[in-house]
Amino acid sequence: MNKNVFSLTAAALLISVGLAQAIPAQLVMGNGKVWEGMDVKRDGDWVEFSTGPGTKPIRVGADTIKEMVFEVKLDEEKLNELNRDQLFERVIAALDNALEPFSDFGDIPSNLTLYNALLMELHYKIGNFDKSLAISAKIATDDRDPVLQSKAQVFHALALIDAGRTKEAETYVVKLGWDKQISEDAAPEKLYIMAKLMALKKQYNLAMELVARVIAFNSQDPDWMQPAELLCAEVYTELGMFDSAEEVIRQISLLYKGSVEDTKAKSLKIRIEGLRVQKEQDTAESSEEA
Amino acid sequence: MSLIHRFCGSPVKALLLASVMVAGAATAQDYSTMGITDVVASADRMLQRGDYRGAIPALEEVIKRTEPLTDPQGQDTCQTCRFELARAYYQMGNVEQGMKYIENYLDNEPRKKERMALRMLAQGFFEKQNWEKIEEVGERLLTFSDLSKDDEYNANLLLGQARFFLEKWDECVKPLTYAANYSKDPRITEVTEIMIASAMVKAKDWRKLFGWLPRLYRTDAKYDITLNLTLMEAGKQLFEVDQDFLNALLLYRMVLPREDLLEFANNRITKLSAKLSDDLQGGIAGREQQDREKEIEDLKESVKLLTDLPPYEDEVTFRIGQIYAEVKRYWEGYVLFDKLYRQDRTSDIGEAAMLQSVLILYDVGVIDRAEERILIYLNERPDGKFARTLLSMMMRNNLVREEFDKVVGLRKYVYDIPASTDADELSMQADLHYMLAFGYFQMKDYPKAGEQFSVILANYPEGTNFSDSRYFRGMTYMMVGDYKNALEDFQEYQARHIGGEHVSAAMFREAVCLFGLSGEEKDREKSAEMLKQAEKVFTKFIDSFPEDVLVSEAYSMRGDIEAAKEATNDDPYTLDRALKDYRKAIDKATVTAQASYPAFQAAKVYKLEFKWQEIIDLMKYYLDRWEEDADVAEAVYWMGQAQLEMGQVQEAVRDYLSAIERFGNDPTKGGIDKIILELIKMSDDNMNAEDREGLAIKIKLKLTGIEADQRVLRLRLRTLQAMLQGKEAGAAFGAGLIDDKQNLAEASPVSLALMCQAAEATGNAEEIERISDYFIQNYAESDLLWYAYKAKTAKLLAEEDYWGVLAVIDEAQGLFGAEPHMGWAQLAKADTLLKMEKYEDAEKEFNMCMGVSEWRGAIFAEAMYGMGRCRLAKGELKEAHAFFQRTYLLFKSYDSGKWAARGYIAAADVLLKMNDREQAKTTLQAMLEDEYVNTTPEADTVRELLKKL
Repeated sequence: MNKNVFSLTAAALLISVGLAQAIPAQLVMGNGKVWEGMDVKRDGDWVEFSTGPGTKPIRVGADTIKEMVFEVKLDEEKLNELNRDQLFERVIAALDNALEPFSDFGDIPSNLTLYNALLMELHYKIGNFDKSLAISAKIATDDRDPVLQSKAQVFHALALIDAGRTKEAETYVVKLGWDKQISEDAAPEKLYIMAKLMALKKQYNLAMELVARVIAFNSQDPDWMQPAELLCAEVYTELGMFDSAEEVIRQISLLYKGSVEDTKAKSLKIRIEGLRVQKEQDTAESSEEA
Repeated sequence: MSLIHRFCGSPVKALLLASVMVAGAATAQDYSTMGITDVVASADRMLQRGDYRGAIPALEEVIKRTEPLTDPQGQDTCQTCRFELARAYYQMGNVEQGMKYIENYLDNEPRKKERMALRMLAQGFFEKQNWEKIEEVGERLLTFSDLSKDDEYNANLLLGQARFFLEKWDECVKPLTYAANYSKDPRITEVTEIMIASAMVKAKDWRKLFGWLPRLYRTDAKYDITLNLTLMEAGKQLFEVDQDFLNALLLYRMVLPREDLLEFANNRITKLSAKLSDDLQGGIAGREQQDREKEIEDLKESVKLLTDLPPYEDEVTFRIGQIYAEVKRYWEGYVLFDKLYRQDRTSDIGEAAMLQSVLILYDVGVIDRAEERILIYLNERPDGKFARTLLSMMMRNNLVREEFDKVVGLRKYVYDIPASTDADELSMQADLHYMLAFGYFQMKDYPKAGEQFSVILANYPEGTNFSDSRYFRGMTYMMVGDYKNALEDFQEYQARHIGGEHVSAAMFREAVCLFGLSGEEKDREKSAEMLKQAEKVFTKFIDSFPEDVLVSEAYSMRGDIEAAKEATNDDPYTLDRALKDYRKAIDKATVTAQASYPAFQAAKVYKLEFKWQEIIDLMKYYLDRWEEDADVAEAVYWMGQAQLEMGQVQEAVRDYLSAIERFGNDPTKGGIDKIILELIKMSDDNMNAEDREGLAIKIKLKLTGIEADQRVLRLRLRTLQAMLQGKEAGAAFGAGLIDDKQNLAEASPVSLALMCQAAEATGNAEEIERISDYFIQNYAESDLLWYAYKAKTAKLLAEEDYWGVLAVIDEAQGLFGAEPHMGWAQLAKADTLLKMEKYEDAEKEFNMCMGVSEWRGAIFAEAMYGMGRCRLAKGELKEAHAFFQRTYLLFKSYDSGKWAARGYIAAADVLLKMNDREQAKTTLQAMLEDEYVNTTPEADTVRELLKKL
């Protein structure tokens, strides 16, 4: 989850150029035929395009198109930099801007799914769960790319949990059968989601056991280790095991310096300091009472 | 795979020669005779044809001729030919000779192809594995400010490798990183990335390594066997030698499972072999073939290395678990140990993992799971090497959590563990018995606790708890009143363990045992001697351990001994000494209870001496010393008593009411109930109607002013209010509480006593059970508890459960003995025995009533009458008559003549049985003339009877 969001798309992202009026796109039809459209336009249920300058426009029904391939122009270096600096809103704005010309074609399967998946992840990161959910719900039903589909399911569950929608999250993971996949061999993202769900339900010991499985058995997984470590520190805190939580935070700052998790871990450390003081006061008061 | 960026074998374009070359034909042999232009042209042609061997003599000839030249053109031609000659040798595989010319080239000017020359030189050194020279070359290359990207990449690659192989771990990272970042060959990227990680490991630059590894682990480089082994080895070093657990952990946890590594490597070998095979068919350069074959061989070698390695996964897993636990990441440790445990709990590592997992479960407070795991182990492996450790852990934890039933529930396992001769195991076994003993002790099963202490004393003289066991066994004896055995243990403890932890306590308890034994001893002289001994030991204890926590109690008990002594002319100051000890006891007390006892004992002594002001002063002293912790209610009660005796009735009433208001909402404050009873007594004995009215108003006012949630206080005040109105009102109030199903939690003993009386009066068995059981369970120390026993006795009598009656009475008498209000118990006991037709026992019990002077009166009368009944039942009419006769002669006035009337009638009845009709008639007539009885209901019956006689 924390990998460079653009690493998957490095080949597809191009240096930014000004947006042209004409939208070129490749149209892959249901029958396998491929059209090279020079200037694609939308007209209700129809998609109109020409195959070259001066050629007569062709109209095809939108539902007959299997997939559209657009050329999306982005400044990859710049966006990577913004992402590194955790300026996610600006990345979202750039992506929105880049995808805007294709908004008329949102209902047709296309290579835009890749960018929407990025948006889904970015919205989740900034806590805009409704938007993330809207995108993930759509991608989760698109079976063209099983990897993206699976990723969308993961983010859908995560967004439901982080939005505090416990029952919906529970129903969702049960529907996907993830509640049964909590052994040490389970996929780290599923263990992580179940751990988060258990933490949401305040079943902290179980949450801790699940997230510990992510960490102990998937420590070479660069994507899920970071969020798992943070969750681990959070749950230790809830359990009142402050020394343990602080140890995890120390490791986060050592291993994932400058990451989102590092930032959150620092906030958590401050919270723990407060809780420690509170605990000490409570202890002192109860000893006085005793 | 070779990492050297090879000198390019592209067609030679001897452009620089153009200026001096003029076409011409010549043979090799003729070069010396040919013009230089022809020689150069000849060389150029051959180079373009790829005839390097053929070109060499021509190039050498040109060099020979141009070397001495000093003009720029000549030098340029010479340098160009040196370079091309070197290249020719390289192409022919004679690198050494080529290097000679390259070095020559690099030593001279101009060097238009210096970068290429340097790279060629580096290649030469690479062949020789001369890393120092490669480093030099790399550094030299990088001094060029206008390097192309490609040259910069190559230079960094050379430099990075050289430094890596020179083990310059810190310095190699930068150039290798450059190479990894800019390589277009994924194989080179992967290898350089691995080299970087390895260098960081070697440099112990953990911070950089942990920043680097995530990048590595996004690629297939993570499957590199050498890298994994390097990480594992470094982790081991950190863990075992440096004890750097955190970094060891972070390295260990990056090591992939062996099967993953092997699977990846084998797949790669298959793919590379297939690709090589395909490419060989198409034709590839020999060097390329060699490189690729070497890559495959290297992979096979690392696979073999890994395959031959003894199993390490479980060890690594265990070690990671240990580190997690060490750094307090308990759950991460737990899941790893849990995996090993579930994998094979019978293996050594599985067994050890089980122990570790249990330790962590205790650390994180998941006790049930820890215990479940321990019990599985103990059931499966009572002889397991961790059986004692685990059992000890579970027992200790339950002791700490005060789950004593669980502790003693493990007894079976303590005995299931096979015997051992190992000193450590013996010590641990003793420890198990010791904990078992404490479990029993805490559950007040003193005989079984003593049994376990005896096991230790008999079998584990070397155990750490041996001496303690002696002391605590003494305690178990003492707790069951076996003072004799307790005394022996306490004395032996002191004798054998001088300076032992419990010496002072043992001495104190030695005195207590002597005190107890003196009470049991029937021989008065012996009893007095023991008491003297007890006093002596108490004194020794006080002198030896003046600051001991028990010294207050020692003073109290010595005070009791003094107070019990009769003052004589020779020793008239026993009470003074008692008071002095009680004062000391108050001063030395460390807890309230230690102070309260002597304070109130002293008050009793003062009362005997009519020292009322002293009582008030003492109570104030006690209250000042203990403030809120003091038994304020009891102290106020005593102060009120003294005030009353000093005629300060109103002051006493004021203080009593104030105490009720202040502490009355706490049902456990027994002193408040005493105050309530005392107020009732004061109202009856010391107040006139006006005062009583005033008191009633004050109580009413207090009732209206209290908070709604002060339910206990409210009930107490209502009880007081009712009882002040007389016995009938009190009884009615008690009955009302029963009818209202009063919540017993709100009732203090004074209210409970009323309820017991009411329930008894109505024969309400269900309520008797409910109230008396609650009373007994919650107020074992209450002076009013006998009401509960009395009600219970009445219920059992009604049910004709005579054995039950005797048991309850025994219990009640055990608590209250022959207190003035306990006559009912003795009578009930005797009466029950009579009903059970145990006439002699019954008569004996009736007769015992006569020995208690406080029972003089109705109890005596009923007892006398009872004795008559016993004799009558036995058919001893004459003796029966005598008892009945004594009843009406001696106890006429008691109980409104009830027992005298019954005595008359019973005596007459006996006379009739003896056929002495006249005497019977005379007896009955005497009854009617007896003014104490002739108005009783029985008198009317007698009048009717006489008419028939």
